[in-house]
Amino acid sequence: MNLLKQTSLVFWKDLLLELRRRDSLLTMFFFGTLLLFVFHFSFDLPPDKVAEMAPALLWLAFLFTGTLGLTQLFQVERENHCLEALLLSPLDRGALFLAKSCFNLFLMLLVELVVMPLFWILFNLHGWNLLPQLFLVTLLGTVGFCVLGTIMSAVTLRARARELLLPLVLFPLMIPVILATIRCMENIMSAGDLGAAASWLRLLLGFDVIFVTVGILIFDRVIEG
Amino acid sequence: MRLCVDRLSKAYNFLWALRDFSVELESGDLVALLGPNGAGKTTLLKLLVGLIAPTSGSIRFDGTSRLASLSRPRTGLLMPADHLYDNLTVRENLSFFLSLYGDRCDLQMIDSALQEVGLLERGAEFVGNLSSGMRCRASLAKWQLLQPDLLLLDEPYGVLDGSGIDLLEKFLRHQIENSGIVVMASHHVSRALRLCSRALILKQGRLTFNEVKRQPWPSFDRAFGEFLPQGER
Repeated sequence: MNLLKQTSLVFWKDLLLELRRRDSLLTMFFFGTLLLFVFHFSFDLPPDKVAEMAPALLWLAFLFTGTLGLTQLFQVERENHCLEALLLSPLDRGALFLAKSCFNLFLMLLVELVVMPLFWILFNLHGWNLLPQLFLVTLLGTVGFCVLGTIMSAVTLRARARELLLPLVLFPLMIPVILATIRCMENIMSAGDLGAAASWLRLLLGFDVIFVTVGILIFDRVIEG
Repeated sequence: MRLCVDRLSKAYNFLWALRDFSVELESGDLVALLGPNGAGKTTLLKLLVGLIAPTSGSIRFDGTSRLASLSRPRTGLLMPADHLYDNLTVRENLSFFLSLYGDRCDLQMIDSALQEVGLLERGAEFVGNLSSGMRCRASLAKWQLLQPDLLLLDEPYGVLDGSGIDLLEKFLRHQIENSGIVVMASHHVSRALRLCSRALILKQGRLTFNEVKRQPWPSFDRAFGEFLPQGER
């Protein structure tokens, strides 16, 4: 069975389990929304300042929300030792990595689709026409977050305080993605296009390609401990 | 098929769970793996299926390392009440694992396996709603469908009722008749001995007994006697 078929098999299984449990999506959605309200009530800023801070605030919300999703990523496999059943099977470990990354990406994109417009409404921001471009950059940043996050969740899978450990090991490695995404978004919001931030976009693309490849290649060693 | 385990050892930090374990098994062998709690039985099973890596030693199937994926035989590990998703139905679980192993996912086959283990009526129920005995039957149906070359079982008798035990033993006999190798770790010594063709006894991670079954078997009685409850020695 090829990599894509195995990936889709595990992805649909995870999606079906999530539809039945609804743990991750609901928690991520409410937490993301809650963070926006906290930001809204904490910062009393003029609209031009808000526009400057919007990318950083949005990414703070995405990072915390995404980390919440990542801590749950392998939870279904931990119950009843189902991860053992997967590792026992001829499932390609790269397919497991891709399926888990895609699943987390799917959840995060759903949350982002709600959180971004809500941010615009709450902070009374202009430039709704920029949202598609901003969303595209966010998508690239989220891919980077999800692939690296999946690798790190697998690394911390057998650790005792994995929920605490995951952000500690993940956030420092995420700095290039966060920096690149925020710079791209700042440029789009101030100049209306990527302009000088094109090199940051290339960095983001490079990061995504490298870590998808690295994930597929090393996931067997990571997950089998 | 021939399984050769040579000087297999596993240490967790500074504690040796298994030390210099060597054995050779062939198609049709049904091995009873016995020993007290903490003797290293589960560690050995997990090493044999590749769920954990050995500290030293090797496992070879037909002369080829277990890690060579092309020659890797289909291995099954039956842990009662484990390895099934609670929020999938019994049929969805079986269908998922059949697809994962690249087997034809035929609903009729699944239903016939469920009928065999007495779960046909409960095929649409979530595994999480089943009792441990029923989950063990579902696992049994899973491995009946997947037909592993090497099947390892960890305490399979604990949760099964009388008819469940009959089903299990029928399945194990079928496995060895079809040239499979079965290794069963159990504390139900009399049941395990009735089925097995060979017995292995582990004590503190070391293999202390390895003999083909015969009747009577005084050497086994001597070797195993110390692990029995006081009144039964």
